[in-house]
Amino acid sequence: MMWETAILVGLLFGGVCFLILQASFVRILFGFILLSNAANLFLLAMSGRPENRAAPVLVGPNGPMVDPLPQALILTAIVIGFGVIAYLVILLYRTFLDQRTANACELFDPHRERPKGDAS
Amino acid sequence: MTAVLLALPILLPLITALVSLLAGRRRSWRRWFVGASAVAQLGVALVLAHGAYGQPPQVLALGGWAAPYGIVLVVDLLAAIMLALGAITALAAILFGYAELSVHDEHPLRLSLVQFLVTGINLAFCTADLFNLFVAFEVMLIASYALLTLESDDWDIKQAFPYLALNLVGSTLFLVAAGLTYGMFGSLNFAQIAERADALVGTPQLNVLALLLLCVFGMKAGLFPLFYWLPNSYPILPSPVAALYAGMLTKVGVYVLLRIFGQVLPPDLPLPHLLMAWLAAATMIFGVLGAVSRNFIRGILSFHILSQIGYMVLAIGLFTPYALAAAIFYIVHHIIVKSTLFLVGGTVVVLNRTDDLAKTGRLWLVTPVLGVVFLLQALSLAGIPPLSGFWGKYMIIVEGLRQREWVLVFCALLAGVLTLLSMLKIWNGAFWASTAKEGVHIEDSRWRPMTAVAAGMTVLSLGIGFGAEFFLTVAHEAARQLLDRPAYINYLLGGGS
Repeated sequence: MMWETAILVGLLFGGVCFLILQASFVRILFGFILLSNAANLFLLAMSGRPENRAAPVLVGPNGPMVDPLPQALILTAIVIGFGVIAYLVILLYRTFLDQRTANACELFDPHRERPKGDAS
Repeated sequence: MTAVLLALPILLPLITALVSLLAGRRRSWRRWFVGASAVAQLGVALVLAHGAYGQPPQVLALGGWAAPYGIVLVVDLLAAIMLALGAITALAAILFGYAELSVHDEHPLRLSLVQFLVTGINLAFCTADLFNLFVAFEVMLIASYALLTLESDDWDIKQAFPYLALNLVGSTLFLVAAGLTYGMFGSLNFAQIAERADALVGTPQLNVLALLLLCVFGMKAGLFPLFYWLPNSYPILPSPVAALYAGMLTKVGVYVLLRIFGQVLPPDLPLPHLLMAWLAAATMIFGVLGAVSRNFIRGILSFHILSQIGYMVLAIGLFTPYALAAAIFYIVHHIIVKSTLFLVGGTVVVLNRTDDLAKTGRLWLVTPVLGVVFLLQALSLAGIPPLSGFWGKYMIIVEGLRQREWVLVFCALLAGVLTLLSMLKIWNGAFWASTAKEGVHIEDSRWRPMTAVAAGMTVLSLGIGFGAEFFLTVAHEAARQLLDRPAYINYLLGGGS
């Protein structure tokens, strides 16, 4: 399982790099959603090999269990990641409404003029 | 009794934030409440700092779960100094905000968010657990994202996007680094990591982990080449909030670099230390060049934060007890001076209705007091003796010469000269220029209390400059405590609490 997880995490991070570096807001957004998932999967891999180990539940057969701590960490990370992604969605949406573009290259074009009549 | 005191720097702002959220339309009540709470936080921080001097670190095991398994809060001298500085800056920013905006113009969420921000900052100073540090960073960052866009206009709001994007990437890398640390050491507790890391000295794994952590916290601190999020986003903040950001946010990154590299990771990491020193030199030069190229006050000051970060990180990169003491002293000086300069910038905006240097002017004629405040702080930033900035720069350069790092020393001196140049630019544009496009609105009496807050901070910075011996003794003691890793490990894990 270790190699499969490593390859998957690598692929996910590669996809993240590709998506975040795109100009379209929607792709950037998907990039960040994928990013938090890639990091969470990476954390999960820190539990060690899951083969021949039980879930970390105290009732049931005794024997080696997987390390439960990374799972607790992931739970926290998911909540935080969700909050930040929600903020990102709103920020990108407001930027789209205010600036009338959904393209990051256009947004930061230095030749773009501030619209007349806009509050300074 | 003292152990409970350790929770107050986190609990007080958190409770204040929550209660002031509930205050609704009772705006002036909220102001009094938050102001009183900021004063109380300063009191708690000073009591903690007083108790931390010459004593072993104070430990509070949250929920009664002792060190390696539970989460502990640890306040040693360095953390106490940072808490006190944070409380001073937050108090000044809040008072300045009261002076700048009438009670009806203030955004109802601003004070709550500032308190949430302070909660995150204080938790980052106190925690002794890597994952808890991650949570602290997130509390701080989420509050900072919200504050950044709360009062920005439709055009400037786009600057929040790079800030959010880079910090989001940084947080994810932090999560990965925390995961790797757990995978390598089987623990996230600072003391336990420190205990187990010694066995790995010289192995590539430890170097990779150190470089990853350098990348993460370097991004938070604004180290070259990861600083692009900072100089465009800070100018869109309202000036009191910008002063708090400028004073504290990047310094949290520097503090964590000090904590991680000085205490948690073993001292024999030549490669990461070398890289840190050279990146710091690049930060200094590029930061100050950026500052020289800007033509509005807050833009210049924002780039200056980076250049100054370079000095602190250079001191950490040199990595001798003397250099770490210099870094701590520099942080103390920098937080006060930098936030004051942002407050002066805010006052200029009120008087000239803009901070574009082509349109400002005549301030020296009209308000010499503000001019003196600016001059003292600007010269201190550039490192003119006997002001506070001189001592920090002097120590760092002396240590650089002792280590025979000629190029690094040259970069530091060059950045100092260019700092003076860009401060001169503000001085010429805002204070010395004989015309101001929209005149000087001296009848707008808000500038008096605003200048008073800035002047109070200036007195503090003068105190640091003239009382340098006391502050240097404290900084040396803090550095000694930081580098005494066996004592820290014993104290945290050996039932010291």
